[in-house]
Order: sequence, then structure tokens, then C-alpha cells
Amino acid sequence: MSATPASVRTPVREHVPSVLVAALSAAFGVGLLQITGFIAAAVRQDDVTGSSAMVALLLQIVAIVFIVIAVYVAAIITANTFATVVAGRARSIALLRLLGSTAGSLRQQVATEGLFVGLAGTVIGSLVGTGIAFGVGRVAVALGIVPENSYGYLDPVLILPVVGVILTTWTASWVGSRRVLTVTPLQALGGAEELSREEVVQRPGRYVLALVLVILGAGFLLLGLLIGLVNPVGVLVGLIGGIVSFTGIVFAADRVMPPALRLVGRLLGASAPARLAAENALRHPQRSSRATIGLVIGVTLLMTFGTAMTTWQQIILAAQQANPEVYQGIDQMLNATIAIFSILIGFSGVIAAVGLVNNLSLSVLQRTRELGLLRALGFSVQQLRRMILSESAQLVVTAVVLGIVLGGFYGWAGAQSMLGAINGSPGFVFPSIPWIILAVVIVGGAVLTAIASWAPTRRATRVSPITALSVE
Amino acid sequence: MDTSPIETAALVARVQNLSKSYGKEGTRVDALRDVTLGIRRGEFTAIMGPSGSGKSTLMHIMAGLDAPTSGRVWLGDAEIGAMSDAQLTVLRRRRVGFVFQSFNLVPTLDVEGNLLLPFELDGRRPTPSERAWIDELETALGLSGRLRHRPHELSGGQQQRVAIARALATRPELVFADEPTGNLDSRTGREVLALLQNASRQYGQSIAMVTHDPIAASYADRVLFLADGRVAQDSGRMEAAEISSYMLSMEVPA
Repeated sequence: MSATPASVRTPVREHVPSVLVAALSAAFGVGLLQITGFIAAAVRQDDVTGSSAMVALLLQIVAIVFIVIAVYVAAIITANTFATVVAGRARSIALLRLLGSTAGSLRQQVATEGLFVGLAGTVIGSLVGTGIAFGVGRVAVALGIVPENSYGYLDPVLILPVVGVILTTWTASWVGSRRVLTVTPLQALGGAEELSREEVVQRPGRYVLALVLVILGAGFLLLGLLIGLVNPVGVLVGLIGGIVSFTGIVFAADRVMPPALRLVGRLLGASAPARLAAENALRHPQRSSRATIGLVIGVTLLMTFGTAMTTWQQIILAAQQANPEVYQGIDQMLNATIAIFSILIGFSGVIAAVGLVNNLSLSVLQRTRELGLLRALGFSVQQLRRMILSESAQLVVTAVVLGIVLGGFYGWAGAQSMLGAINGSPGFVFPSIPWIILAVVIVGGAVLTAIASWAPTRRATRVSPITALSVE
Repeated sequence: MDTSPIETAALVARVQNLSKSYGKEGTRVDALRDVTLGIRRGEFTAIMGPSGSGKSTLMHIMAGLDAPTSGRVWLGDAEIGAMSDAQLTVLRRRRVGFVFQSFNLVPTLDVEGNLLLPFELDGRRPTPSERAWIDELETALGLSGRLRHRPHELSGGQQQRVAIARALATRPELVFADEPTGNLDSRTGREVLALLQNASRQYGQSIAMVTHDPIAASYADRVLFLADGRVAQDSGRMEAAEISSYMLSMEVPA
């Protein structure tokens, strides 16, 4: 054991992923508001209908909805990362407790690191976001898409994402550092046993609540579908049902994800690397659940919009054939909306992907000793590589499949309950699959699997088998 | 040491003119200096020495975990000093077993899973005779009732029994034990040593145990003393008290 406990050294490297997540969401928030501000300024200059104030407000509201989604995903990821970092520091936290630190002050210390992570990420992200918006604005003016205008890139509304990201990162680090309280001073004296085995906290109240939310939400969705057959107001009822039931699923993530992960793990085969990988992915059920639920949220949102839009398109095309004159020129508008919304939603998926990469790297980093053992027992470098790739695939496949199924259902329910009653609608339609988005999600998932396993594999294959023999 | 053909046939592992040093010129540390020795087949050999005597380095090199700076290393009739990492991996998988101080079971696998791991790494299931051997080990080591337990549900002594069973399961040519009693209380430690001794006597298993505990070494058929990277003494079975007094005499400044 080294003389300096890890938490006394500056733990900068551990926080790089969290800074990245905060920077991404700040860049997204600031950049999106800058671009909408720029567009609003352009519209104002060319105000013929006198409705530019309304347009600006609507743009901002749409932008803020997407920013809130991205920041929410980022907060889940950051809380998860901090919990993992704390688990890795259990030994040095135990040592400090042994020497007389209180658990509260140690947790405070971790949360303070979270505040600095939020500050650093937001500064970097705001600068990058503004830079991108400025570049987009210049290009748009140069191409003559929008006229030169006096937008100043210092809109007061930018305070929202800036303060929002700092506060959510800080809060997320506080939530994630709860594990500090469970570390006992005795752990500093313990043997070389793995300390980070998270006890699955039983929270029956939470699961009951989750179940109630899912059932209630499903009821609303069904009601929305029925109302939708006679009146488009059904979509609002369905929207409530969607939000309520999905919140239930997120609440119950550590109940829903492990069985799903286990099932996918079994499908990956019965070789030693695949079996070990399946066990590894479930070693910390809560950690894996939180890392994958972020990606589930991203994919679900993307697929919800995609399926809703293409199902809409299908209903409208059917209606168009019945009454061609009512629905002229609506196709291009729909296509453009699908593209823009998908990109905006996709950003939350990117943030979730960072979280997953991070989860896998930390989990490999924290079991160097075990990797050394496997090497000593005769695990080849190739087998080690396959094991980590399987772990990565298991996490990604589970999240992507679950997201596709959930999103497909929500999207179809949304479109059906909104347009079931429109002029010329065929009544019930089957969900239509957004092929392009589906392809992007699947290819993205495959790329993510490879990226997530790349750095951990490099580290793992460098572990010498002697590590297993050393005594900590 | 003489390494005539007749004698090498009785050796399960040997090193010749082995040296190992760490660091660069100027800050160089010589862990092993021109060591030549052999581990005899079917014997329980203890490698003793104070901290820094080079005993751990010697074991790492003999087990193919570390590369020598100079000299030659054999396991059976295979020279392992020049093997590639892939070859060494297969060698460790099939011909060598390990028992560690901190047990080192795979935490995500249960007892049975840990015992079968060496076979799975080889991409195969145990043959009927290997299966019978594993069953016998499970019974002999008192593990039969705990096959579905995970390592964290077992005591230290039980974990070390699992580790011993895992090391013996593939009937390796040589089992390396690195301070196998270092993390155990003295009574449990003695049980583990008796098990190792028994494996050697009853099944003819060759075992090389690195330790600095005279009581542990007193269970061995042969005790090799290392000091400052050299073999200081090579003797047969010794009592713990004899080993202790020899160790003390080595500590006296020359």
C-alpha cells in the first residue's frame, strides 16, 4: 500500500469522463440556444407578419425541451460515474475514516469535486457551443440562407443551460457519493478481498411505486389510443401515459436491467470468456443498470420520434390518397422535421454512450488484479480481448434492443392516438419502422461496442500475470 | 550443481545460471545472481529466504510469469525461457498450477465454476477420468457441500482449499504456492499445509512453495534457502526450530 491515500492525491484523471459529459451537455445547451437566438434575430429583421416574437419563443421552448432531456441523461450518467469512482476509492476512504475523518466530510469532499467538474465542464462546453453556433451562423450568412443580423451571442437565456449543468452535475455527484457513507474504517484493515461488491439495496417502496407508474401509464396509453380513434386529443392522454410509464421503468432500472442483461449474456455463448463476461456485466447490478438505462433513454427517445414520424407519414399518406387537396406538400415538411428532431434527440444518445464507455473502462480498471489472475491461470490475450468485447456487447445490445422495443411502441401509440381520427385516416395502422433511424441506432450500437471495449482492452492486455501474486 | 541426464530426468523444473536484475545501470538491483537449481519430481519443496532474497522472483521466472535477464529455464523437458507469451499462456494453463497468498478465486464464479475454469480456458470439458478426479478432490478437501457458493460466502481457509483444488484439478506437472498460509490463522494454515503435503505424498504431486514461515517450510520434503539472490543452503526435511535458527544465523552480519 502506498503511503499517500488516493483521495489525497489530485484525482483529476478519474473525473475526465464527468467533465466530458458536463461539457457535452453545456455545449449542446449553449450551442442550441445560440443558434435559435441567431435564427430568431434573422426572423425579426424580416418580420412581415408581426409574429416574430411568437416564433422566437416557440423556438426557444422546443430547444429547452431537448436541452432538459440531454441534461437529465447527463445527470444520470454523472451520478453513476461518481458512484463508480467512490467504489474504486473504498480502500483509501476506509483509511481516512480509520485515521479519524467523518463520513460526512469525506462525502462533502467528493461533492466538492463534483462542483468543480461541473464548473470546468460548463466553461469548456459553453465556449465550444458558442464557437460552433458562431461558425454555423457565419456559414449560413455566407451561403445567403439567413441575412446578416445583429445577434450578439450574449443572450441572458444562456444562463439557463450554464447554471443548469453546473447544478445538476453538483447534485449528481452528491447523489452518486452516497456510497461513501457505507464504507467502514475496518475495510482499510481487511485483506485483499474485493471491497466494491455493491450490496443490492432492497427498496420495496420504490419498486411498488414503479409498478404503479407502469400500470397507470399503460392505462393512459390505452385510453389515449381509444380516444384517438375519435379525437386527436387522445395524444395528450397518451403523452401522459408515456411519461408516467417510462418514469416507472427508469425507477425500476435495477430490477428491469439485470434480467435483460442476463438473457442477452446467455445468448452470447457458453465459452469461458463469454460466460465470465456475462457474470462481469452483472457484478454490480446497480452500476450496470444505471449505465445502460442512460442509453435505453436515448434510444427510446430516438425510436419514439422516428416511429411516431413514420407512422404519421403512413397515416397521412393514406389520408392524402383519400383527400389529395387537403394534404398538399406535407411530405417535405415531415421529412425535415424527422431529420432535425432526430439529430437533437440523438445528442442525448451520445451523452449516454459516453457514460457507457466510462462505466466499462472503470470496471476493467478496478479489477486489474483479477485480470492478472486470469492471465496467470492461462487466459490468453485473445481470450481477454473477447471477454471485454462480450461485456461491452452485452451492455450495448441490451440497452439498444430495449430502447428499440419501447420506443417503437411509444412512437406508434403517439402517432395512432394523434391521427387515428383525422380526415381520411384508415383507423388502426400497424407501427411503421423508421428504417434510417433504426439503421443509425444499430450501426451506432456496433461502433459503441467497439469503442467502449477498445481502451479497457488495451489496459487489460498490458496487465502482467504477476499482479495477481502481489499482495496489496 | 551437476545436471547430468540421469538427474535431469528426475527434475520437474530447473534453472541454469539464472540471473535477474531490475532497473538501469547505476540503480540496478540484482534479484537473482547466477542461480542453478532443480525441483525434484514428486517432491514438496520449500523455497525459504528473508524478504528481498529473490525467492518470489525465482518462482515468477520458473512459472513463466517473468522473463530472466540471463540463464536458462526448463519446465520438464521444455525450455521456457525463450517461449512467446502465447506459448507461456498455454503452458500455464496446462502444465502449471498456482496457489496464492490472497486465494485469488474469480469472485463472479461459484466454487464449481472456479474448479472448472482451467478446463474452460482450454475450450473443453473435463474427460470422465478428470471429472472423477475433480470429484475426489472436492471430497478430499471438504468442498462437496459448497459447490454453489461464491468466494465471498466462504472463509479464508475454505477459499484456500478451493484454490488448492483448482491448482490440482488439471494434474499439472508442478504446483507453485506463494505464501499459501500468509493470510490464514495458524490452525487453518496448518490444515492447508497438511493438504499440500498430502497431495505430494498421496498423489505424487510436485509442489514448489515460496515462504518465509519456518513452520510452513517444515512440512516440505526439501528446503532451499535463498539469500541475496543466491542459493545459500539446500537440505532435506527440517524441523521448524532448525529452520528458524538457520534463518537467524543468515541474518547475522558477515
